[in-house]
Amino acid sequence: MVRSLPFVTAFIALNMSAAPGLHAAETVWSGLVIAENVAQPESIPPELTRIERILKDLFGYNQFQVIGQSSKTLKTGQEDWLATSKFFGLRVDARGESEAGYVLNLKLYKEKELLLETDAKLSKRSPLVIKGPQVGSGQLLLVLVVE
Amino acid sequence: MKTFEEKWTAWLDGQLTGKELIEFEASLPDKAAAKLEKRDAKKLGALLKRELGTHVIANEEFFSHQLRERIARENVEPFREQAAEVPTWWTVRRLFWTGTASLALFFVFAVFVMREKNPAEQSQYLSQILNARVDPVVSPNATVSMFEAKGDRVTVLWTEGLQSLPADYAAK
Repeated sequence: MVRSLPFVTAFIALNMSAAPGLHAAETVWSGLVIAENVAQPESIPPELTRIERILKDLFGYNQFQVIGQSSKTLKTGQEDWLATSKFFGLRVDARGESEAGYVLNLKLYKEKELLLETDAKLSKRSPLVIKGPQVGSGQLLLVLVVE
Repeated sequence: MKTFEEKWTAWLDGQLTGKELIEFEASLPDKAAAKLEKRDAKKLGALLKRELGTHVIANEEFFSHQLRERIARENVEPFREQAAEVPTWWTVRRLFWTGTASLALFFVFAVFVMREKNPAEQSQYLSQILNARVDPVVSPNATVSMFEAKGDRVTVLWTEGLQSLPADYAAK
């Protein structure tokens, strides 16, 4: 037992140094969110709980409703998917994975009309929020989170 | 040819005889003193014999003591030899120092790696907007900007001037 101490130490050290390079399959949640101010705001959807404060501080609305969403488990980092509502569509095209996260091409459609296109690097620890067009008295937001 | 000392020793021991004895005694400068010395030497010899006889007993005890010591030593030696045969490279002390050195080495490397990665920390852990485009036909006055709320680790793409839509578009 005592003799194996250096080997155990080396093994743990190797594992510790190798661990950051290992990536399990991860799920990206993407949502179309309508933010607005109402008298009786509904509770925030669970997917947005971790960024509730910053959403309220940044946009000044008290209610956030998900009108379209998609959860995609990424295995190769090359997947693409679509989150849609009745009139909007968010097309996400993953273009590779790095140690920090995923490179994504995002396209926001209003029906078949392309409103906005962006390339982004989505970090596994950092949600991405995109301010979309004004919708009625509210605001369309696009939110992407690695779960 | 014998030297004087040899002859003197032989004379003291009473081993000189005949012509040799006569010639030697004639060569002595003080025969009376020599005979006195011879008598003393004989007394000394007798004393030594007597004392040596006592020492014989002491020597037995001494040798017996020596033997007991040797036996005891030989009984212990095999164990020492066995212990010497066991490989002693991984002693506890060496294990301790090897482990400590390994950990120190690991931490040195870890510190260097962390130091190298620090400058890229911002891009490592915060999402980034690489580029953004809006359709200039649909929204000719639209502008985009991006910022990071580092405290919350949220990256925001902020658009202004996008075409506003009626509330019906908020439908699920």
